[in-house]
Amino acid sequence: MNRLEPGQLWVMRIHAAIFAGVALAAGLAAGFGFHEGFGTPVWLPAAVVLVLLSYPLLIAPGRHWRAWGYEKGDRELAVAHGVLRQVHTVVPYGRVQHIDVAQGPIERSFGVTRLVLHTAGTAHSQVVLPGLRRETAEALRDEIREYIRQEPA
Amino acid sequence: MSGDTVADRRLHPATVPVRFLKDAPSTVLGLPAIAGFVSNVGVGRVLIFVGIAAAALIFFSWLSWYRFKYGVGAHEIVIEKGLLNRSRRSIPFDRIQDVDIERGPLARLFGLAKLKIETGAGGKDEGALDSVSVAEAERLRTALRHRGATIDASDDAAAAPRVPPIFAMDIGRVLLSGLFNFSLVFIAGLYAALQPLQNILPFTIEDFALWLGFTEDRLLSGAALPIIAAGLVLAGLLGVIAGVARTLARDYGFTLTLEPEGLRRVRGLFTRTEVMIPRRRVQLGLIESGPLRRRLGWLTLNVQTLSGESKDKGRQALAPLATEAEIVPILSAIGDLALPGDGAFVPVSRRHVLKGIVYNLPPAIGVSIAGLFFPPAWLLLLLFPLTVVGTILERRTHGYRLAGGLLHVRRGWWKQRLWIVPVKRAQTISVSRDWLQRRLGLATLLVDTAGAAMMSDPRIVDMRAEEAVALAAAIRRGLRG
Repeated sequence: MNRLEPGQLWVMRIHAAIFAGVALAAGLAAGFGFHEGFGTPVWLPAAVVLVLLSYPLLIAPGRHWRAWGYEKGDRELAVAHGVLRQVHTVVPYGRVQHIDVAQGPIERSFGVTRLVLHTAGTAHSQVVLPGLRRETAEALRDEIREYIRQEPA
Repeated sequence: MSGDTVADRRLHPATVPVRFLKDAPSTVLGLPAIAGFVSNVGVGRVLIFVGIAAAALIFFSWLSWYRFKYGVGAHEIVIEKGLLNRSRRSIPFDRIQDVDIERGPLARLFGLAKLKIETGAGGKDEGALDSVSVAEAERLRTALRHRGATIDASDDAAAAPRVPPIFAMDIGRVLLSGLFNFSLVFIAGLYAALQPLQNILPFTIEDFALWLGFTEDRLLSGAALPIIAAGLVLAGLLGVIAGVARTLARDYGFTLTLEPEGLRRVRGLFTRTEVMIPRRRVQLGLIESGPLRRRLGWLTLNVQTLSGESKDKGRQALAPLATEAEIVPILSAIGDLALPGDGAFVPVSRRHVLKGIVYNLPPAIGVSIAGLFFPPAWLLLLLFPLTVVGTILERRTHGYRLAGGLLHVRRGWWKQRLWIVPVKRAQTISVSRDWLQRRLGLATLLVDTAGAAMMSDPRIVDMRAEEAVALAAAIRRGLRG
């Protein structure tokens, strides 16, 4: 299984940090509220939030990043992800309806792109593969496109 | 290229009165009635309002009829409409997925039919001709179908002699099917619908309960048990009646005929619908059966088709109530589907039961702790062995079989389901393992298929992990053909 680009790990960390920042702000706000109401120290809720955040902020991004993987076959793409619930999905190229290569602002600054394969399916109609170098994603897209052109489903 | 098709046809003139009659209750009667109610004017004036509203409605119905034109060209059908904003839509024949004919009670009275053209773009009202004469609808449908994606049909379907149906339900069968469609939800819905009408109805719903003797003091006195029992029996009876009525309205005159391009289904008591299910668009089959139905040998056959977004379009009933012997020819008519052969199903792992027990432990422990403070909560613990028994029964019926390009998945002990998935229809294949499944060496396999989501999908829960990987590999090989 191919790992994702290290840049994606930073993207995940920043996503986690943004979430942590919001939670911390909420904790601080609650801290002032509780201070008014019950006389608890202002920093207490924020400290609790910080302790609770240690997993999603420090450990989870790395574990999630390591759980991702993909493997390119000659007729199908296999994508694995998930920490608690590990999912391994195989998408035959012939089933791909259309392909997106997407990049958000954070992803752009770390030089990674997302490949999104759309199938006609119901439960897994979108198979997302993040953390690819732009060239890798585009090469994959072109290969799948070429396959579809030669063998229409 | 497009643009040379002339839209030179209009809808049937009777469309105007039909539309008027359809809209009249809300517009002609509703608005003036509210006006009269609010402003307290005399009956005479209200009648004048009604007259004006009716005239306006007729005029606008006529105008929109007058401005609606369509035409069939060599490669496309063109629809022009709009009073001020004129729009011209052209639907190329090879984009047309399906042409359905629907006939509501009013339309049937006037000999009209609504033609619905579906392109698979997923929007509602992709192209609807509401309404044309029945003959025109039939003519258009043949024209659209035969010049569209299905060119292989050599003969003219309209001219071909009527073939006998491959499956039909007589009135007795429809009523029997209704008995199994016992529905209390429907009654709840009816009750909810009646609530806002309280002021208008000659009786109140509470009165009705009062007739039955549901008064608070009697309920509290404990002497109400027979009354409650009677109420339950009545509710059950109403549920049966509601189920029969609903099934009768939907499935009356159910016939399924085999045509060159697929299966044609006609059904409905008040609104007759006619749906074409092309063979190549059938994605999977689902045979369902309840405990009582199964004992009596009755099954229900649905198929999932590749279709637009609307939820009822993706799932089509091919046989609401049929015997296995009746289902076999339907399946073979579709071509891709078949009942499982003689070989045995592979059951899922025994550890499925263990997993069920482990997942039920936290709530059981929670209830035990709660019981320390509130002893009656202990009673809830009785549910624990019941769920365990349920899981054991579930495991007994849950299994799969892969043979001849078909994946059969069986599941459920109360309501038994059998999915028939042609391997070549698989969109993605995924194997997932949650935390506990990894510890127990189990995995869940899901073959995803196209079409609208059914209530549940053909996932195989808790197979042995190696087995799941092997089955996924076998399905992938099957896909390669």
